[in-house]
Amino acid sequence: MNAVFAGLAGVGRYGLWVRDFCRALAAHGPPQGQTLAEAFRIGIKSLPILLIIAAFVGTNLALQGYNAFKPLGGQRLVGMFVSLAGVRELAPIIAAAMISAKAGTEMASQIGVMKIREQVDALEVMAVNPLAYLVAPRLIGIMLVLPALTIIAIFVMLSSAYLVSVHQLGLAGHEFIQFASESIEPIDFVYGAFKAMFFGLIICTISCYFGFNCGKGPAGVGQATNRAVVTSSVVCIALNYFLSEMLYGGAL
Amino acid sequence: MIELRNVYKSFGENTILRDISLKIPPGQTTAIIGPSGTGKSVTLKHIVGLLRPDEGQVLCFGTDMATANEADLYKVRRRFGMLFQDGALFDSLTVGANISFPLVHHAPEMSEEERRAKVEEKLSLVGLPGIYDRPTSGLSGGQRKRVGLGRAIVTEPEVILFDEPNSGLDPITSDAIDALISEMKEALGITFIVISHDIVGTINVADHIAMLYGGNLVAFKPTEEFVRLDIPIVRQFLKRNLILPEGPDEVARLPGLE
Repeated sequence: MNAVFAGLAGVGRYGLWVRDFCRALAAHGPPQGQTLAEAFRIGIKSLPILLIIAAFVGTNLALQGYNAFKPLGGQRLVGMFVSLAGVRELAPIIAAAMISAKAGTEMASQIGVMKIREQVDALEVMAVNPLAYLVAPRLIGIMLVLPALTIIAIFVMLSSAYLVSVHQLGLAGHEFIQFASESIEPIDFVYGAFKAMFFGLIICTISCYFGFNCGKGPAGVGQATNRAVVTSSVVCIALNYFLSEMLYGGAL
Repeated sequence: MIELRNVYKSFGENTILRDISLKIPPGQTTAIIGPSGTGKSVTLKHIVGLLRPDEGQVLCFGTDMATANEADLYKVRRRFGMLFQDGALFDSLTVGANISFPLVHHAPEMSEEERRAKVEEKLSLVGLPGIYDRPTSGLSGGQRKRVGLGRAIVTEPEVILFDEPNSGLDPITSDAIDALISEMKEALGITFIVISHDIVGTINVADHIAMLYGGNLVAFKPTEEFVRLDIPIVRQFLKRNLILPEGPDEVARLPGLE
């Protein structure tokens, strides 16, 4: 029971922190000239690992789709299965998990180190709002980059699934493409990008929150980083269900 | 200009400041001394508004930092410069970018060349000319403090706060930093507030000394009077052989606190 109360108290503190951040952003705006650099940094750092993971998720989706549909004689439906699962669900959540592991941990640890080395206090004393200065560019950067990474992940996933389906499982290429393209609409890409932006918001605010509230010393930074990645991943995966329900509802 | 009135501060059960009243003489150097954990840094953080008191007032340039909103706090803070314990330099920026940081944010009308010239001037003043483009990662402890001091003075503030300027430094570098503070004092003629537990350095640089002990203000006197005070805890501190009592009861019974 205590753990439940502690969890609720944590959610409350996070909510208050987000309120303070919104106020700081409204009062000061994001610092100029940092957002694009931040977006570029987050994107470039996360891209290689995302490409690898998206490629292998695509291959396994094709394999398992084939195994699932073959007994029913519907192996041609692999394209549909891969595109539905990949575009609507796995690409946004995998891109979010990668960003959480790469960029989220970096945000928590960088801000945590700044906190314990009094650099956050130094910003305050120099009359520079630390929330607006440190969080805003990271937030805008991640919300720009994550949708782009998600779209890239979709294409990599579909491409690797196509290669496995056609060259390993012996399916017809044109059938894969036909079923894949018929089962998804352009709006699915928009929804995927929307999910990604929402996940970016969650990852950045949770990671920065833990960075700003980290305990003393290097152990505090380590703990903040760990909490940032665990909490943001769990929250994103749980919210993904509700977002899918909201966006696709019965159409799922 | 800067005055603490009946300030109390606790963290949980732990009372850090008890009824502290202190008026900082303008244009002079005031040192706040005392053993570690006695509330010196907490006092400094109250002056710049990083902490707010549970009770009492912290008046800076007519603004009560205890109740001021963010906009007023920031207005007052722009009249301060502060040197943090390890410099609090931003690791991702060069030395020059660190020192010009407040100018970039608060003097956007300055051109790049004007900013650079000003930073180079401050670097010379703190004894580190020619390191504008160096990363901060290779700086020694003493150099970090000097660069931090350069950043603190670059906006030409009216008050400079020093948080333990000698901590973590070897005796020679520590003396050099004290000498630098004295030079700054002569050159700038502004209000300095120095937090320290190093009594020797403090006597050399301070015009006034306030001693905190166990969250209480034991004494606040001009340096020449302070060193002659016949308060046991002050005498012990001056002799650098401070033996700490074990608990708050012993602190309360100290003669200096009666």
